[in-house]
Amino acid sequence: MSAAQEGPSLLRLGDRVALLTNRRAVTVCLVLAVVALATVLVTLTIGDLGVPLTELPTVLAGGGSRAQEWVVLTNRLPRLAVGLGAGAAFGVAGAIFQSVTRNPPGSPDVIGLGAGAAAGAAAAGLVWPGVVPVPAGALVGAFVAILAVWVGSGRGFAAPYRMVVTGIAVGAMALAFVQLAILRATREDAQVVAAWLNGSLGSRGWSDAATVAVALVVLLPLALALSRRLQLVEMGDDAATGLGVDAGRTRTLAVVVAVLLTGAAVAVCGPVAFVALTAPQIARRLTRSSGPGMVAAAVTGATLLVLADLLAQRLPFGVQYPVGIVTAGLGGVYLAFLLVREWRRGAV
Amino acid sequence: MSTLDAPPSARAPHVTGVRGSRARSWGLAAGLLGAVALVAVACALSVTVGSKAVPLGDVWGALVAPDDSYASVVVASRLPRTVLGILVGAALAVAGAVIQGITRNPLGDPGLLGVNAGAAASVVFVTAVAGAGAGRSVWAAVPGALLAAGAVYAIGSGGRGPTPVRLVLAGAAVTAALVALVEAISLANPTVFDSYRVWAVGSLAGRDAGATARILPFVVGGLLVALALSRALNALALGDEAATSLGLRAGRTRLVGGFAAALLTAASVAAVGPVAFVGLAVPHVVRAFTGSDHRWLLPYCALLGPVLVLGSDVVGRVIARPGELMVGAVTAFVGAPFLIAAVRRGRAGL
Repeated sequence: MSAAQEGPSLLRLGDRVALLTNRRAVTVCLVLAVVALATVLVTLTIGDLGVPLTELPTVLAGGGSRAQEWVVLTNRLPRLAVGLGAGAAFGVAGAIFQSVTRNPPGSPDVIGLGAGAAAGAAAAGLVWPGVVPVPAGALVGAFVAILAVWVGSGRGFAAPYRMVVTGIAVGAMALAFVQLAILRATREDAQVVAAWLNGSLGSRGWSDAATVAVALVVLLPLALALSRRLQLVEMGDDAATGLGVDAGRTRTLAVVVAVLLTGAAVAVCGPVAFVALTAPQIARRLTRSSGPGMVAAAVTGATLLVLADLLAQRLPFGVQYPVGIVTAGLGGVYLAFLLVREWRRGAV
Repeated sequence: MSTLDAPPSARAPHVTGVRGSRARSWGLAAGLLGAVALVAVACALSVTVGSKAVPLGDVWGALVAPDDSYASVVVASRLPRTVLGILVGAALAVAGAVIQGITRNPLGDPGLLGVNAGAAASVVFVTAVAGAGAGRSVWAAVPGALLAAGAVYAIGSGGRGPTPVRLVLAGAAVTAALVALVEAISLANPTVFDSYRVWAVGSLAGRDAGATARILPFVVGGLLVALALSRALNALALGDEAATSLGLRAGRTRLVGGFAAALLTAASVAAVGPVAFVGLAVPHVVRAFTGSDHRWLLPYCALLGPVLVLGSDVVGRVIARPGELMVGAVTAFVGAPFLIAAVRRGRAGL
């Protein structure tokens, strides 16, 4: 394969829009999409209640038995849709944060954004039920958390590791607040919240899928539009300014987009840990690209979350685990490896 | 020398003359008495305040001549909790100070550095395998605490020696993985679920009567080892080379100190669950007036740790009436800002 084919090329959409793509990135995204699709098909067909692959088109067209329709259309499909959407949202949010902080650990789940969104959602759902919709609560919580991290760390994005440590403190306080909120709840509500706090795709409905879909439709184009400027900002504020990009404004806009994405995703499936951390890292490695790679991060995040959910439901312990337990376990180990590798290279 | 290599004690260990240092010693000794008084106040609050207040006079009556009056019943239930709070507070605060000393890391805390999670995972594992009775023993918590401490230290050093941020991040990674393991075991095992839910965040409430007696030897032992190490910790604060030239075996001090901290943490986790930020906050407050001489730092921590834990427990009982906010959640509220403060003051080398 010649060097010219490997390099970036322009993908033209009409006269005005052109996306800078690279062949490898496109291939990786397509392969990941196939993996995601395969995961979706396995999830729909697996188990006693699963629908055989041959009958799937009929059921999807509305011609299956009542039980089959319930399993596929009411139970598993919305769950998958939420998983794909939330995974993509986490992935893009992580890509933005890692680009802005120029650091893998500077991702939203490490700096307390997920916990903040969870606290906001818990406050909306338990302390003032019915007054504030839960997704709005999650958004407010995520914004309060990022503000607290920003103000607390004192130097903003210029000092990513300060942000990370401050974020750990903010996250701990947010989770303590969730405990307080749970005390105010009825026993049933408290159990629901406790399960949701792990990050779970259990009993999701089409309305949840719609929430995250709306967020993605609005925010993903914004993230894409910011992607190239973020790549310039990664080179340093002076270099970016020299190329005509307002570094400060780009960062602020990008962080707002990332916080909104995180809030939307947490609102529908809880603070699923480490998808935002791992997806952009894996995407970067697979595509071997240097920029934030929004599309690749989104596809990787979506694939990771539905894969992890399939794994969580099928672990051989007789229990259906919330997906967040699987991602936290695997993601924690991955973070440890990532840290060791970064430190070997002397990045800290 | 960059800020992160500078030990906290390098600032002003012995700048005052002999007379000044003697006066300072008297002042610190008097302060120690004041700390004892604070512990007494915290104990009094812990026994009297709650969903039903009991006047101090009735408490005294219930103590000297227990009968079946209401006050006696309440005091009998709150007294073990108070004693447990004292032990756990002392254990965690001293563990934090020792960890900060041996890693020369102002962000040292058993919760932040994954030792709590390791102890909790090991308790849950033993409970799942050998039943709830075996899981209550401190020995169930010790292996996990040691393993997690070792893992975090190894990941955080990455071949070149640890920095505060590396250790905290390594602690976050290890904690996440271990908490996931704990949740996974507890969801699959009803016995574990019942005992784990109660102390997932760290709570002094509803502990069984034997908890205090079980952890007492471990806490006392750990505290004595830590106190015996205070001179070695002072030398270590000067840097490994200086410490070695003073005749200290730095590696051995780290090992013994780490073992004592893990033991103290394991004891407190076995009794009340993972309580975070006590080990971070208390040494930071104490250092403000003792400086970083461990001969003063550690005794003050042993006294003010209980004040923080008992105080947090009382606050937890008051703010969420008629429910109770777990003590671990209150200490997170109180202690997490100290982490931010340490970062802002540049203590973490950031």
